[in-house]
Amino acid sequence: MKHFTKLAAAAVVALTGAAAYADGHESLYVPNLSYRTGPFASTGIPLMNGQLDYFEMLNARDGGIGGVMIDFEECETGYSTEKGVECYERTKNEAIVTQPWSTGITLQVLPQTNVDEIPILAPGYGFSPMADGRTFQWAFNVPGGYWDAADMIVQYLGSEESLEGKKIAFLHLDHPYGKEPLPLLEALAAANGFELLPIPVGLNEMQNQSSQWLQIRRERPDYVVMWGWGAMNAGAITEAVKTRYPMDQFIGVWWSGQDADLRLVGEDGAGYKAISWSYPNQDAPIQAELKTHVVDTGKTLSNPEEMSGVFYQRGLVMSMILAEAIAGAQEEYGTAMIDASQLRWGLENLDITEARLEELGMQGMVPPFSTSCANHTGHAGGWVIEWDGEQFNKASDLLLPRVDEYRELLAASAADYAEQNAPWAVNDDCNAES
Amino acid sequence: MLYRTAGQFKTTYRADQALFPVRQDAFLLGVILVFAWVIFPMTASEFTFQTLLIPILIYSLAAMGLNILTGYAGQLSLGTAAFMGVGAYACYKLIEVMDPILAILVSGVFSAGIGVIFGIPSLRIKGFYLAIATLAAQFFLVWLFEKWAWLYNYNASGAIQVPNLDTFGVFVTGPQATSMTQYYVILAIVTVMTMLCINLTRGTLGRTWKATRDMDIAAELIGINLMRSKLTAFAISSYIVGVAGALFVFMWRGAAEPNLFDIPLSFQILFIAIIGGLGSILGNYLGAILIVGLPVVLNTVPGLIGLEIKSATVEHINVMIVGALIVFFLIIEPHGLARLWALIREKLIIWPFPH
Repeated sequence: MKHFTKLAAAAVVALTGAAAYADGHESLYVPNLSYRTGPFASTGIPLMNGQLDYFEMLNARDGGIGGVMIDFEECETGYSTEKGVECYERTKNEAIVTQPWSTGITLQVLPQTNVDEIPILAPGYGFSPMADGRTFQWAFNVPGGYWDAADMIVQYLGSEESLEGKKIAFLHLDHPYGKEPLPLLEALAAANGFELLPIPVGLNEMQNQSSQWLQIRRERPDYVVMWGWGAMNAGAITEAVKTRYPMDQFIGVWWSGQDADLRLVGEDGAGYKAISWSYPNQDAPIQAELKTHVVDTGKTLSNPEEMSGVFYQRGLVMSMILAEAIAGAQEEYGTAMIDASQLRWGLENLDITEARLEELGMQGMVPPFSTSCANHTGHAGGWVIEWDGEQFNKASDLLLPRVDEYRELLAASAADYAEQNAPWAVNDDCNAES
Repeated sequence: MLYRTAGQFKTTYRADQALFPVRQDAFLLGVILVFAWVIFPMTASEFTFQTLLIPILIYSLAAMGLNILTGYAGQLSLGTAAFMGVGAYACYKLIEVMDPILAILVSGVFSAGIGVIFGIPSLRIKGFYLAIATLAAQFFLVWLFEKWAWLYNYNASGAIQVPNLDTFGVFVTGPQATSMTQYYVILAIVTVMTMLCINLTRGTLGRTWKATRDMDIAAELIGINLMRSKLTAFAISSYIVGVAGALFVFMWRGAAEPNLFDIPLSFQILFIAIIGGLGSILGNYLGAILIVGLPVVLNTVPGLIGLEIKSATVEHINVMIVGALIVFFLIIEPHGLARLWALIREKLIIWPFPH
């Protein structure tokens, strides 16, 4: 009992101390709807750690951004939509941005953010038509959407040999996320003359894909394109190795390129490729900065193996994009304590150039891109990365999505969405060409 | 003390059989209704509406539907979520032709129909075997929601999105609707349904259900038509569950993908019904408060007292606490929270003289 009383007293002292600290400092509240628990935790943790560490580093090195600390707080969702909505409601009053993470949560909060007027930042995921900034004035999926990814994959495959008459299997999660690129892939199949074979993987078949791979063996597609997430990636890769599917004909989206999944098969996975808008450049100066300010001070939750991986490094890039938007907004409005609508300006006027990346010490980690009020994606493009048995390496030059080819499709889908959700507030001040 | 029954004489059978034989019960219900209809909506924040009030009401309604079937008629069902899904998808198609609130009420008819179809095997199979048959409904219907593109209007993502719809010029669904409006719509539907259920379970139908539950052969011998009894239970239960499903998507979630109606949701509702108390109406509310409300409240505790714990850790602790509480309640009262309340009430009535 005595022990307990002491503990309780210590806790109270610590609490009052913490509260006093929090009151005395102004900070920008940047919540992240994280998922470190649940079935997708293995993919979530490295991304969350990367995002968190970047802001930890800014707070430690520069004292935040523009003189105010960044209160980067996680709200755990476990990838469940229900919890996600709870987190959104919990954080939205003070938040200047919301980062919903799962496609389910994104779908759910997307219409809500348009009413609540909070920018929604979904780097590399979410709904492709969010690129249309006039319709989705509060939503951003920088630096690339799923349709960009689908187009780049087809471009890459087409650059090796003509796709005329080829058969491409599209192994995808049977979920809004996996179905997202289908309309574009169908259009591309018609344009390039290849046959598209969609193979859905149900949520409860993720770990055991034997029937899907049996179908792949029977159909003998020339390529397998994968839109997988969480346990599905590891399931598909091990199954591909088991059925001896040629790895160099197997290519995934950026969420299917995680080191941990490939490490399971090691050498056997050599040749597996994924498209990626980020690259873990180990020589970039940021790595040393992170080591000094985050790793050596014991602030990180990560470990060296994870930190060298694609997903952790992608988390860094995501936070960098957000930090740049915050800094941009602070400069534009002349105040450090920006609000949600000011941050929206920042996200709409991002200009990540090669020179800026070099200043940030992040050269080669993300292609340069810029956004505008009409373009909320940036369409940065990406590289094909290839697993060599130990790590992912760049296997192509920078690929750029041919956005002009599907701009109409984007606009049509966006208009469709706005119509279904009428009355939907659009940004009329923004003209198409800007 | 609070429950003194002294002076409350009953001179007729009618008075003795009344819904509230003790005056304090009626008073208590009155207080709860005042809270639900006036005080909560006036004081609640957006967060409270969206994470406590609305979900607790909807889950209570779904559990009440299941309770009719499992608690009163004794037919174990594991397909609740699928029947909710039928309600939600039916509602999605119906809003194109009718008023949203009417659509929500009508959508239950569709799930009642599907419920009866899947209830037919119950005439031949019982207990765990029936549970497996309803499990088939669960798998089949979720598969159907995924594959039948007409249900979600051939939407590329395969998910249904709730549009902004208004009744008499006030938005009731979609992001434009205020939480307050939605809360009142849900509360009205849930209140009416609860009254209906209380009366049904106390009337002839309820008695035939209970007779079927307790011993079907005996029930048949005293002249109860088992087929009618079981199928009406399936129909009414599925109707309520279907309406709860439509409310779930249209008044709360705002969007739904097929796997939302997968088995975890069925289990969650079954847990609410079991922990609340099978064969009780009040139990559904108590169960929903424990299973749906408590985790949300627990999540806010460390923040309120200023404790800096990582959000993921809170989530882990939360799961453990809720799990432990479920075990705890089931040990001290296996018949559920409703029975626990009944015991407390009993004690209060005879207090301070136990004998």
